[in-house]
Amino acid sequence: MGYKATQDPRTDVRERTYLPELLKGLGITARHFFRNLFGTRDTNPQVVDRTGTSLITTVQYPEEKIPYPPGYRGLHRLVPRDDGKPRCVACYMCATICPAQCIYIEAGEYETEAKEGESRTIEKYPTQFVIDELRCIVCGLCVDACPKDAIRMDTYEHTKPEYNRQGFVYDIPKLLKGPPVSHPSDPWNKREGSEEPHHVHKEAHTRVGEGLVQLKTPHAVGKGHEPKKLGPGETPTSRTHK
Amino acid sequence: MNRVLTVLFAIGFIVFLLAGGVASAYAVGGLVEQYGFSGASRLTNILFLMLIFVMIIATLLTLAERKWSALMQDRIGPNRARIALPGLKNRSLAGLPFVAADSLKMLSKEDFIPEHANRFLFNLAPLLAFAPVFALFAIVPAGPSVELWGHKVDMVVATPDFGVLYLLAIASLAVYGTALAGWASNNKFALLGGVRATSQMISYEVALGLSLVGLMLAFSSVQLPSIIGELAAETGGIAYGQARYLWQWTGGPAGEGFDFGLPAWGILLQPLGFIGFFAAAFAETKRAPFDVPEGESEIIGYFVEYSGMKFGLFMISEFVEVVVLSGVTAALFFGGYHLPFGGEWVAAQLKDQPLVYATLLGTLFWVKVLFLCFVQLLIRWTFPRFRYDQIQTLGWKMLLPVGLANIFISGALVLWDPSLRMLAIFGLLQLGVLMALTLSRKEGGEAAHGPGGGHGALGHGHDAHALPGAAHGQALPAHGHATANTGSTH
Repeated sequence: MGYKATQDPRTDVRERTYLPELLKGLGITARHFFRNLFGTRDTNPQVVDRTGTSLITTVQYPEEKIPYPPGYRGLHRLVPRDDGKPRCVACYMCATICPAQCIYIEAGEYETEAKEGESRTIEKYPTQFVIDELRCIVCGLCVDACPKDAIRMDTYEHTKPEYNRQGFVYDIPKLLKGPPVSHPSDPWNKREGSEEPHHVHKEAHTRVGEGLVQLKTPHAVGKGHEPKKLGPGETPTSRTHK
Repeated sequence: MNRVLTVLFAIGFIVFLLAGGVASAYAVGGLVEQYGFSGASRLTNILFLMLIFVMIIATLLTLAERKWSALMQDRIGPNRARIALPGLKNRSLAGLPFVAADSLKMLSKEDFIPEHANRFLFNLAPLLAFAPVFALFAIVPAGPSVELWGHKVDMVVATPDFGVLYLLAIASLAVYGTALAGWASNNKFALLGGVRATSQMISYEVALGLSLVGLMLAFSSVQLPSIIGELAAETGGIAYGQARYLWQWTGGPAGEGFDFGLPAWGILLQPLGFIGFFAAAFAETKRAPFDVPEGESEIIGYFVEYSGMKFGLFMISEFVEVVVLSGVTAALFFGGYHLPFGGEWVAAQLKDQPLVYATLLGTLFWVKVLFLCFVQLLIRWTFPRFRYDQIQTLGWKMLLPVGLANIFISGALVLWDPSLRMLAIFGLLQLGVLMALTLSRKEGGEAAHGPGGGHGALGHGHDAHALPGAAHGQALPAHGHATANTGSTH
């Protein structure tokens, strides 16, 4: 207790004469200058992990990008099937739930006697699937609503800048990207040339495991019927017995 | 390692460019003396010294100000302007394209004159601000006088008898530009800036002049060439000015062996004078910490209403002033173009190659100038702006009495010992006390507190005593108490 209020609180001779403290300050600035001048700059986008003599923490954006955190809702994509067509079955779920009404879908029907007989296992497909990214409020409801996991926001990039508004209206060619995905219960797997017999996976729900990794409940499917798609160097047994 | 080599190469390249400039300045000077008329080299010196060296360095300082300040503040600095040429497209070139971009911007902007402004004075002010500053460099010798092709060529525009007085007189003229700009703009903030500039100039003119009197006493001259002095190898007899030694330990008087000793540089003879001069001249340049006339966070400054190249003139005159101040300081206090030691030996070695000798010493002068420019930018980016009353206090109550005391003590010491050794001992004593104060720490708690040779605010972030912040270092005035209190607890 007892803060002594004086006219000049600088009691130390160094502070009172001013110059020594000034020189110390100059020393600090000069040290920063030379460290940053001669030091190699670590361009690690994870700034806290940076090593190196330079003290600069800048991430030079277009050249260096901080990766978005997991779960980031980025630009939409339409998930392709094995044959490169979108998984979308034109059910209008996403367009209906979209609060910004930025999704426009026109449905088409596969002909019964279609040349590509395999596609006939699915009745409908989008002839047009358009998302106006300027209207989108990035709420992610379309992803939740989709029964076929055909629309995702896992691109980990934001909408790119464009010179005109029309550029932000994404159609199927712009939306369709990423790794092809097939789910065990997909009608796609019920087609004639399908690699896996469909009845095995009838009960397996689409959301779990997302078809890219092993299902988390292999016992529900039954022994010997684990999905084939696994991460590199992984066997089904090593995964289940862990 | 790569970075270090790159930076060292860049520094070497800059020195190389300086050497090239100095060499061509001397060569052209010698040629015009031979094929033109006697004294023509002074005219080419105007071209080389003032238009090429000072202007180019000042232009590059506008970039250096931004780039260096960025490095001091752990930033990268301007690097987005690129030259759209193959090979250069993706290179920031250390920000050099910004110089071109900025000057293009300045030149192509609208030249705006506010309503009800005094048009004549409004247009005159930038010229009045720029011209005196530009003319200042005329008296600074940037290299030795040498015999080139039978003609004497020296690297100075003018050597008037009144020497440094010209400097003081012309430097104080620059304030007219500032005051007029503030007054003619028909803007209250600009007027405030102009008034502030005027009052600041008045309080620092006196200190500026007084701080140099000690030096004039020591060298018994007001002329820059004789303050810088000449080597024994040049005069043929005895060295004088800052070229001579206070104490010479090795080597003969004129190049007999390598000479080593303590040179009679102004900084050793007049540390107080140097500090006073530097502070006062810094106030003349109107840069932080003396930038109340500009005070961009309070009033925008005396040039609020200026745009385009008229503003550019104000800005460039600031940087020209930095270069000129560096040149004058180098000439007065850092031995001008002389080496600290070994000068006689070098002069003897290069007796037959005057051009090489002149280039070497001229480059040395510009290297000193660049270093002092760096110091000025360092100061500018370290210290916050003085409050208005602090500036007046510093000018009238500190620099003025200190300058007066310095004159009397210096005069007495010069009278007592004309060889200046007593003055040098006194100067070294001052420097020693300053260094001791700077390097020492506070007693008691502060030692355990350990800023470790000046870590400053960073050093206070010890985990051991994470007291509720405020006591620690943030509030500077309370600093001494806070550390004393916390120091006793551990």
